[in-house]
Amino acid sequence: MSKKLVLSLVVSLSSMLVGCGGSSSNNNTLELFSSKAENVAILESIVSEFNAQNPEYTIKVVAPADHATVLKTRMAKNDMPDILAMGGDSYFTEVQSAGMLVDLSNEAYIITLHESYLDMVYNRNENKEEIVYGVPYATNASGVIYNKDLFEQAGVDVPNTWNEFINVIETLDSKGIEPFVFTYKDSWTILPPWNSMAPVIQPANFMDDRLQDKTTFVGTHEQVLENIITLMDYAQPDFMGMSYDDGNKAFAMGEGAMIINGNWAINQVIAANPDINLGMFAFPTSNNAIENKLTSGVDVLFAVVKGNSEKEEVAKKFVEFATTPEIATKYINDQFAFSAIKGVEQTNPMVSDASADIMAGNVENFPDHYYPNGLDLSAVLSGFAMNYSSGMDNEANILATLADLDAKYDAVNIK
Amino acid sequence: MKTQKVNPIYYIIVGAMTVCFFLFHTIPFIQGIFYSFTDWKGYGNWEWVGLRNYLQLFKDPDVINAYKFTFTFALITTVLVNLLSLVLACALNANIYCAGFLKAAYFLPYMLGNLMIGFIFNYIFANIIPPIGQMLGIEMLSVNILGTDKAMWGIIFVTVWASSAFNTLVYTAGLKAINTDIYEAAAIDGATGFRRFWLITFPLLATSFTINMVLSIKGFLMVYDQIMAMTNGGPGMTTTSIAVLIYKRGLSGGQFAYQSANAVILFIVVATISLLQLRFLEKREAKLND
Repeated sequence: MSKKLVLSLVVSLSSMLVGCGGSSSNNNTLELFSSKAENVAILESIVSEFNAQNPEYTIKVVAPADHATVLKTRMAKNDMPDILAMGGDSYFTEVQSAGMLVDLSNEAYIITLHESYLDMVYNRNENKEEIVYGVPYATNASGVIYNKDLFEQAGVDVPNTWNEFINVIETLDSKGIEPFVFTYKDSWTILPPWNSMAPVIQPANFMDDRLQDKTTFVGTHEQVLENIITLMDYAQPDFMGMSYDDGNKAFAMGEGAMIINGNWAINQVIAANPDINLGMFAFPTSNNAIENKLTSGVDVLFAVVKGNSEKEEVAKKFVEFATTPEIATKYINDQFAFSAIKGVEQTNPMVSDASADIMAGNVENFPDHYYPNGLDLSAVLSGFAMNYSSGMDNEANILATLADLDAKYDAVNIK
Repeated sequence: MKTQKVNPIYYIIVGAMTVCFFLFHTIPFIQGIFYSFTDWKGYGNWEWVGLRNYLQLFKDPDVINAYKFTFTFALITTVLVNLLSLVLACALNANIYCAGFLKAAYFLPYMLGNLMIGFIFNYIFANIIPPIGQMLGIEMLSVNILGTDKAMWGIIFVTVWASSAFNTLVYTAGLKAINTDIYEAAAIDGATGFRRFWLITFPLLATSFTINMVLSIKGFLMVYDQIMAMTNGGPGMTTTSIAVLIYKRGLSGGQFAYQSANAVILFIVVATISLLQLRFLEKREAKLND
């Protein structure tokens, strides 16, 4: 333990030192801090275009390995970067609640953003005030990724309701096609079905009520777990022992017709089989098709940190530049992501269904983004799936799992 | 007794090591103890909370489960490792054909990192064993054991395989140190086979046995690498050892201070068990050496 502690200390210390050396020495140099290692290359290319147009300023992109720790340390030292590119998560709430961010509500480009994503960022503000501290930029989507060829072979269409979904699964099964590839060896892959179903099934004010201890998961989330059991009834053999990497490969090779996961899995599937003909649709939780939403969250938002007014202006100018349709398109094409900017469409045919939901604003955020930090939902659900596969009674399993989840929620909610 | 002048190079080497050890081991350790009495999240402000973290530990079902798993794992693995390596050492010490090659083969796992071994077996359990199990019609082996409620046995198997190397080495060294005259005398007295092992060999291996028992149980109570590589504590929380829990909750779960308290408790438990073992086994050694 202590050895690892030292290592992490040394690593974060050295990255702090590097950070110090690079920034704040010069008024013409701004720092863009990215929490995503995957988008550094495209951000650098956007930045270099901006630098070329504004030769009097230079923006530098930094993306340290342990971004959360580095950002927190720099917050504590009051040595913040000038522009942040980060997820719409609890770290954003921390920076925002510290009063470090500039109000961008009056910027011209705000009206070009999808309301649904703006709402998600508002929801991340400490007091949920409708002030733009973070500009939603790139978004992700989670639902069902399916093999179009296998669907055609079985003669089934994309389902819009839960009953249609069950029909599709049964038809695939009867034609000898494995309906799903589940990869529950990596416990986080049990989250996507929960994340897609929970917002539709749980009562309207559940998140706030649960936080104030007015309700429990027991009594509100039984249906979610019942549905997951229905899906697991059609799982491939040994789905508990299949890892995410192996599962993506198996799906790419046509060993199953669907995976329940997000757009981030597509790259790996295509790498394993470039010829696969795949598509993506919103998870059909309800029998009322209108209620079903695509699960989509803010993957990257831009925020401008308070500092001297000159730097703030340049930072604002950069965000304005990045949110122009041309640059935003460049970004999502590189990242295989979706855009929070109206009219900027991910046209890749693989995700056109999901893209249509996003264009229509028909999206719902990941519910686990609202659970308290430290609640390990994936471990609870992985225990649930293990109990199922070792033959525990379904009723007892559902009750025990939800009770366990309530207990763990309370444990982290107090601290 | 004459006092001899000691070459200063020894002091320099020992001094440098002491400084490094103190800087990179003792200071973080003391810091960990310090933070276990606070509510520090790993960043930002903190306040003293006294013994709150420690009291909470005894009420936390996840912590209690982690202790249960770790102790079960450590006990079973220690027994199996020592049995296996004792048998191996005796076999290798006999005048068997290509003993040198076999010794090298059995020592090989020791040269691989536990993380590496974990990843390799992760692959074996997922892709190699299930088809064989299906072919033989053995239900338990036809799925990836790491995804079932028996995942602990998968980890025990790998740990026994990997850890036996070092223990075998220690036992082999112990066996080499036994004077062959004793065996000759024993043979004249009519002690052979298992009787000879139990009455002569095993008592004379007392020192090696002590070392192996103490090191095994200490190592297995702190099991971490294999689990991170193979199951990441799952399925559910069934293979979450104390060290894995401390890492997962302390660093990404924002419970730095709370899990520091857990680490302090783990240290006390491991230190106490090791000391008790040492005292008990050294007494036994002393008795046998008389």
